[in-house]
Amino acid sequence: MNKITKSSTAEYFAKNLQQVGFSSPTKAVLTTLKEAVDNSLDACEGVGILPFLEIIIEKVGPGSSKNSDLVRIVVEDNGPGIEPEDLSRVFGEYLASSKFGRGQCTRGQQGIGISAATTWAQLTNAKGVMVISKTKKMRKAVSGIVEVDIRSNSGVLKSKETIEWDKESGVHVEFLIDGRVQLNGDGGLLTYLEGSVLVNPHLELKYKLLDNEPVFIQRVSGTIPEVPSPTLPHPHTMKLGEFIAHAHLYGRITLEKFLKTGFSRVADQTLKDVVSHGLPKSLLDKSLTSFKEDDFKTIFAAIQKTEMMSPSTKSVLTVGEEALSKSIMRLGQVDFFSVMTRKPTICDFKPVSVEVALARFLDRGDADNPVQVLRFANRVPLQFDKAACAITRAIETVNWKNYGLNQPKDSIPLGPYVFAVSVVSPFIKFKNASKETIDSSDELVEEIRRALMQAGQKLSRHIRKEEKEADLERKLAHIEQFGPILVDGLVRIVGASKERKFRAAEGLRKLLGRDSSEAMKELEVAEGRLAAQKKKDAHLHSSRDEEKLSLEE
Amino acid sequence: MAKLIKIRELKIDIPQEAVRLAEQMLKDLEASKRPVLEAVKCSLDNSFYNAKVGYLTPGDKSVRTELNVSSVQKLARVVFVLEILLRNLDIGAVNTKRELYYIAKGLIKGNSQLKPLDFEDQDESDSIIDFIGDMLRVYREELNCYANDRGGQTYSQQLIVTETLPDGEKAIVDLGSLGTTPFQPKNRPQSLKLKARKKIDFCLVVESEGTAGTLATMGFTKRNNCILMGAQGVPSNGVRGWCKLIEDQLGVPMYFFGDLDAYTLQNIFRTLKAGSAASLIRNGDFSAPDVKFLGVLPEDVKKYDLHCYKVKESDPAEARALKKAKDALENDPFFQDKKNKKLADILRWLVKEKLRCEQQSFFSVDPRDPLKTEKIILEKIRGNAYV
Repeated sequence: MNKITKSSTAEYFAKNLQQVGFSSPTKAVLTTLKEAVDNSLDACEGVGILPFLEIIIEKVGPGSSKNSDLVRIVVEDNGPGIEPEDLSRVFGEYLASSKFGRGQCTRGQQGIGISAATTWAQLTNAKGVMVISKTKKMRKAVSGIVEVDIRSNSGVLKSKETIEWDKESGVHVEFLIDGRVQLNGDGGLLTYLEGSVLVNPHLELKYKLLDNEPVFIQRVSGTIPEVPSPTLPHPHTMKLGEFIAHAHLYGRITLEKFLKTGFSRVADQTLKDVVSHGLPKSLLDKSLTSFKEDDFKTIFAAIQKTEMMSPSTKSVLTVGEEALSKSIMRLGQVDFFSVMTRKPTICDFKPVSVEVALARFLDRGDADNPVQVLRFANRVPLQFDKAACAITRAIETVNWKNYGLNQPKDSIPLGPYVFAVSVVSPFIKFKNASKETIDSSDELVEEIRRALMQAGQKLSRHIRKEEKEADLERKLAHIEQFGPILVDGLVRIVGASKERKFRAAEGLRKLLGRDSSEAMKELEVAEGRLAAQKKKDAHLHSSRDEEKLSLEE
Repeated sequence: MAKLIKIRELKIDIPQEAVRLAEQMLKDLEASKRPVLEAVKCSLDNSFYNAKVGYLTPGDKSVRTELNVSSVQKLARVVFVLEILLRNLDIGAVNTKRELYYIAKGLIKGNSQLKPLDFEDQDESDSIIDFIGDMLRVYREELNCYANDRGGQTYSQQLIVTETLPDGEKAIVDLGSLGTTPFQPKNRPQSLKLKARKKIDFCLVVESEGTAGTLATMGFTKRNNCILMGAQGVPSNGVRGWCKLIEDQLGVPMYFFGDLDAYTLQNIFRTLKAGSAASLIRNGDFSAPDVKFLGVLPEDVKKYDLHCYKVKESDPAEARALKKAKDALENDPFFQDKKNKKLADILRWLVKEKLRCEQQSFFSVDPRDPLKTEKIILEKIRGNAYV
C-alpha cells in the first residue's frame, strides 16, 4: 500500500494556483493586482483613512515561461501600514487572515489571495514579494522580501532593512511575475480599475499601465464607508457540526444562555417556540459541557423546526445612490444615468444589499453591441465566467424593451451603456475559491432583478424623452419632405390649378402642424416626468444628508 | 397599342375612379380636412367562407389611412405609384411588380424632390401596389401589373388552347402535339379559350411539378383522357386562374394530389380551392371551388403502408406549421364550415398524430412497378377515395 502523506496548505495551493485565479499568465497579472488593491482598500477602511493608491504595471523583459513577459506590478497605499513582525504572515502564510469568518462585508475574507500572488512570483521568477511598510508609530520604514515556505506554510522575511520613507504610513508591494498584460475587455486591467473606481467613490487613484500616460482619478466622496460590525450568527444558517463547534466555544454555560447570547434572533419567546417543537424544557438549564452528541442533535432539530425572525440586515453596507451617481461620472462622458440602492434584504437566509447603476455613455460602446456589464461582489469587480453569474442571469431575465432598450431574446441588452451591479453581503456564495462568479440562487436573482427593473424605470424616463424628441424631429421632417410631393401628385392627377395647389399646400401644413404640436406636448410631458424624477432623487439625497448630519450631531 | 383582354366585366372605370379619389383628397386638403383612403381589409379576420360560391369573400372591415404626420409618407407613395399605374393604363403598358419597383426608383433618381419617397426594397413598393388594388377593389392585373409566370405546367393529349394575343390575333396550341413539353398558362388565363378534342375524364393537379413531369413521361396522359398539371407549391395567380378556367369552360372533375401535411392542406390546397385571405377581392376569379383532395389521405397511409415522418417539433418551420394548423381549426372560416368538415378532420388528424407523409411515398409501394403511382391514383379516383 502506498504511504499516506500529509501536505501543508501552502503545498496544496502551490499545486493548485489555478483555483485561486492564477490559471493563465493574463489572469495572474490581474489577480495579483486585485489582491494587492483589495488588501490596501480593506486596510484603509479598517482604520478610517481615505485611500490613495498608486499603481504601476510594466513589462521589464521576457518571462521565464513560454509566451509570457516578466511583469512588474507595484501597488502603494497610504494605509496604516503593517507591523514588521506581521509582514511575513500577511504575505507568506496561507489562511492567515484578520477577516476570516467574521461575517463582515470586507473585500478579502480567507487570507489566501496575496499569499497565492507571492507563491506565483516565487514559482515563475524565483523571488517573493518586495515589501516596504511603515506604521505611524515607526520612525523609519521596514523593507524586505517575503517568501512562502511551502513545506511549512509560513512566510519568511528576507533582506530586512530599515529605510527612510517620506510617507507617514503605508505599504508598498512590488511583484515581479511571469504574465501577460491585457488592458481592455472583460478580463482587462483597465476594466478592473474602472470598476474599482466606480464602487469606491472615496478612492483616489494614480496609475500607469505599460507605456501609456499616467492617469490620476480624484475621489468624489470624502466619506469613508464604515464596514458594519458583524452580527451574531443566526441558528438557521448553521449545520449540526458548526452548531456543536460553536457551543464548545462557550464552555460551561447553560443552553438557554448559550442560545440567547451566542445567536441573533433568539429571545424568550423563541425559546418557548423551540420547546414546543420538541426541545425538552429541562435541557435549557443544563450546562453545555454535559451534553452528548445525541442531545445536540435533539436541540439542533428542534431549532430547525422552529420559525424564527430572519437574520438582521445591519451587517451589510451600501455605496449609496448619491456617491454612485458621482462616481459613475468618472468612467467617461455620461449622457444620462440612473442608480438604485435597494434596502438590504434577506436572500437564502443571508443579508444582502444590491445596488445598480445604469449609464449611457457618449464615448464608449455602441448601439449594436451588448452593454458593458460590471459585476461586483463586496465592492470587488468580478471579471471572469460571467455567463454563470447571478448578476448576468438577472440582467438577461429582465425585459429591457419595456424601458426602451434593444434586447435580443434572453440576452444582455444592446447599446452604449454600462450596467454596474453590486452585491454586498458578509456571506456571498461564490462558485469557486477565485471569487469570479456569484452563485445564482433564485432568491438572489430575483432581488437583483428588482433592483435592475427599478433602475430601468428611471432610465426609461431619459430614453422616453429622447424618443419623443426624435419623434418630433421626424414629424417635422415628414411635413417638409412629403407634403409637397403629395400635393404635387394630386394636382397632376386631377389637373388642378395653381390656386388650388396653393390652398391644398396651406391646408396640409395646418393639418400636419397640429400633429407636430401634439408631439411637442408629448415631449413636454416626457420632460416633465424626467424633471420630477430628478427632483425626487435630489430631495431624497438631501434628506439623507440631513439625517446623517443629525446623527453625527 | 391594342387593348388587353379583360379579366372580368368591371363596374368601375379605373382612371375615372382614381381621379375621383384624388379630387376628393385635394378638396379635403383645401378645406384643411384630413383625407382618408380606405381599402378592403385583406386578412383572415375579415374573411368569410361562402359555401354557395365556394371561396373566401371579404367582410365589412376596412383599413383606413387618414392623413397625419406618420401616414403622410404612405399617402405620398400611394399617389406617386398611382400616377405610374394610370400612365401604364393609358398607354397600354404592362409591368411586373419588380419592374414597377425599378420604374419608381428610376423616377426618384431623376428628381431630387422625390428622394424621400425612395423604396428601400421591393416589399415596400409591392405593399403600395397591393394597397391601391384593395382600395380601388380591382385586381392587380386590371392595373396592368402582372406577376411572373410560375407553375401550372400542363400535359394533355386532348386539350386545345386558343389564345387571343394583345394585337387581336389568335394563337392555337394543341397540347397533344407538344410531346413531353408542357404547356404553361400565362398569368392572364382569361385570354384563353379551351376545347377538348375528345371527352376529358378528369384533371389532376399535382403539388410537385417534378412528380407531374414523371407521370407525363411514363405515359399518364397517353393512357388517360385527362389534363395533368404541376402546381409547383403554393399556386400562383396564374395557376389559380387556369384551374378556374378549366372548371368553368370544360366542367371536368378536378383532383389535387399532394403531401399529407398541414402546410399542403392549408396553404396549397385551400388557396387553390377557395383562395386566400390576402387576395380576398380576387378569389372569385382565382380559385377552383370544385377541386377535390385526392390525397395523400390518412387512410392511404394505412392501406398502402406508406412511409411517414414524425413532425419535428424542434424544427421551427415544422413547429410553426403545426401551430398554424391548430389556429386554422379555430379561426379559418374555410375549415370551420361544415361543408369542409372532412378536410378539417384531416387537419385534426395531422395535429393529433404529428405525422406527415409525402406524395412521393406512393413510389415506395411497389418500387419494381413504375406505374404503381398511376394505378393508385386511378384506383382512388374510381373508388371515390378523395375528400
